[in-house]
Amino acid sequence: MAEAVRTPRDDQKASLRKATWGRPELDPIRSFEGKHIVLTGVTGFLGKVWLTMLLDFLPSVQRVSVVCRKKTGSSASERFAELVDTSPALTPLRRRHGARFRDFIDDKVRVIEGDGTKPLFGVSPSLVESADLVANFAGLTDFEPDPAIALTTNTLGALHAAELCAQTSGKRLMHVSTCYVAGRVSGEVAEHLDYGRSPLERDFDPQSELDAVRDTLDRCRTKRERIAQLMVRAERLGWPNVYTYTKGLAEHLLHSRVDICTTTIRPSIVESARTYPFAGWNEGINTSGPLVWLFSTSFRHFPSRPRHHFDVVPVDSVARGALLIAAEMLENRAEDVYQLASSDINPFTFRRAIELTNLGVRRMHANPEQGFGQKVLRHLDVMPVSAKATPLLGVQRMQQAARQGVHWLRQLNLREELPTSVWNRFGERAEKHRKKQAQRLRNFDRTMNRVQEMLRLYRPFIHDHDYVFSTARIHGLNKRLSHEQQKRLGYDVGTIDWHDYWLNIHVPGLERWCLPLLRGEKIPAEPIDLDDEERIHQIVSENSVAPAEDRVR
Amino acid sequence: MSRIAAFYRVEGTLISRPTLATAAWFAANAQGVSERVTRIGQVALAVPLTMTKSLGIASLGARMTWMGLRGISEDRLRELAREYWEDWLRDEVCKRGLELVKGSQKRGHRIILISDNIDLVVQPLAEMLRAERCVCNRLEIRNEEATGRLCDPIVSGSVAGQWIRRFAEEHEIALEQSCGYGASVSDSLLLSALGHPCAVNPDWQLRRLASDHAWPVVDG
Repeated sequence: MAEAVRTPRDDQKASLRKATWGRPELDPIRSFEGKHIVLTGVTGFLGKVWLTMLLDFLPSVQRVSVVCRKKTGSSASERFAELVDTSPALTPLRRRHGARFRDFIDDKVRVIEGDGTKPLFGVSPSLVESADLVANFAGLTDFEPDPAIALTTNTLGALHAAELCAQTSGKRLMHVSTCYVAGRVSGEVAEHLDYGRSPLERDFDPQSELDAVRDTLDRCRTKRERIAQLMVRAERLGWPNVYTYTKGLAEHLLHSRVDICTTTIRPSIVESARTYPFAGWNEGINTSGPLVWLFSTSFRHFPSRPRHHFDVVPVDSVARGALLIAAEMLENRAEDVYQLASSDINPFTFRRAIELTNLGVRRMHANPEQGFGQKVLRHLDVMPVSAKATPLLGVQRMQQAARQGVHWLRQLNLREELPTSVWNRFGERAEKHRKKQAQRLRNFDRTMNRVQEMLRLYRPFIHDHDYVFSTARIHGLNKRLSHEQQKRLGYDVGTIDWHDYWLNIHVPGLERWCLPLLRGEKIPAEPIDLDDEERIHQIVSENSVAPAEDRVR
Repeated sequence: MSRIAAFYRVEGTLISRPTLATAAWFAANAQGVSERVTRIGQVALAVPLTMTKSLGIASLGARMTWMGLRGISEDRLRELAREYWEDWLRDEVCKRGLELVKGSQKRGHRIILISDNIDLVVQPLAEMLRAERCVCNRLEIRNEEATGRLCDPIVSGSVAGQWIRRFAEEHEIALEQSCGYGASVSDSLLLSALGHPCAVNPDWQLRRLASDHAWPVVDG
């Protein structure tokens, strides 16, 4: 194997570490004391939880400047104000400060209008020059977005965050990436970045790659063309989709900057909150939401390898991990890459995920008001199959049957087929029924198209590759927390009981916050149920029994 | 100092559904459709063995009953047990049995449940009745899956008198002053080992035995 390229940044970091070594304890309250943090991506799923946790657990922080984009009809301040007023993610802060909540937010948070697609986020350097750390949570997490937008947000956005960081006094950038930049590999994935080396072990120059892909995308006219062209480049280097390619490229480009100290955080699949802001909170359509939705359709065969790892981490665990890493960065001791995952310490396999999702859907459909179809599906579990298998009730065969049905119903001329007496008596009703059934089959065909498309996008992660992400570094940080701080801020993934998390927290959370969106419905706007206190305390006390690091392999 | 206990045989006195029905329901709710048929067939093989009152064969019957669950994941067993309790058992707990338990609690007796069902199913009942101990079967789990074997000691349809005496010794229970509630003739050894036996909704054999020994009979 070729030797890793050593950049000037490595030397800079090594000297920084040398200078500050000898203070092994980690005290985030002290690390954040009087510090000014710049945060991007606050309107995202993870960004919100991180901000709430920061203000709730570490109020010693002096100021948080949130860089927020304006939208048509609302300024950045208005957008943030709406988030503060309505987002369930801020529930713990609302509860803690009561009537003084708005005053507290106004005192601690400053909103800066900015846009990740512009150099320096379009922010005046004077507004951020006193900042000690820039936390870049901004990103586009769709698997196959328009490459032009993905490149602008995930790659150029990261570079713009780095430029912004270079204007601050702290010159520390915490950049959020993904574990899946590992690309088309299987096995253990180390917390490391080989600069200029792709997942398929090809040497490449990140800057030339960026220039080339920008040229390529400029020449394309349609989204489909852009995806096709970008995927050629991505596959050549070993990234399976637009998302991982743009995120991976950003990591390499950031690594080459010597004027700032960058730490990359790689979470795996970020899912529903376990305890914070409250059990089950989720937002938008994330990775497992569509998979759970699949289980509630007539789709019954799931192409996956049962023994492969399904690396899921609750959003609050990721936010806790990111706080620890930020604290370590503020002490100038942070490593260059941290992975926040579960597969190495508390493995969750696809076999188990499928089983628990079946049981979760079964519980979801236990309501006696469910229709006949749902009652039947409740008793027909989804089975894991190989991607090459074509089972009787597989997507392809069912879709083929549906298309044949539509074709047959279209060809069917009831007036000719039925005897005149029958036609005269039942013809109109039968014709109506024929049209209704044909429409149903067409809808079914469309759903199956959606399913096929979804499975194509997910296939590298659920079938082709088995990843085990190393998380030794975050557990190293966890060990250095005091026992009291571990309870609140510890990276607690090792203590997750997947049965309880999946059935009692995650699937109900998806049912509440995510599945309505997939069904084209709105999230119910009723007040947030805050009766989870008892449960939260229970889980927290369970966590304290078995500290996560004790179970590190 | 020895304490007084009230032993309740769950099947018949508190729950009318036989253990075999539980195993069959679990088998019918396995993951795959074809495996459900196979598993139900396996559970059905245990029917003749569970009908016999002989101690040795009853123990074999208990083993056979749960063999059909081999390979079912622990997650599924836990969830099915929860569902079975909520949908099939919770509202069907015998009212007369509940009154008897309350009476025992008022008298300060330790409530001990004995069941040949599995712990996942009986535990919620034990919690509901605030029973001090629940003696029941436990499925062996390996690699998050049931092996189809029961962990020792096995509780079968018939409870041996020797077992109850050993149990009383270990837990400092005065058998002569303790009560026992059973519903089937297979509980006769348990009842005869206790100072105050009682037949609850007994089958005809136990009813005759109760009348021979002047044991109280409770119906309803």
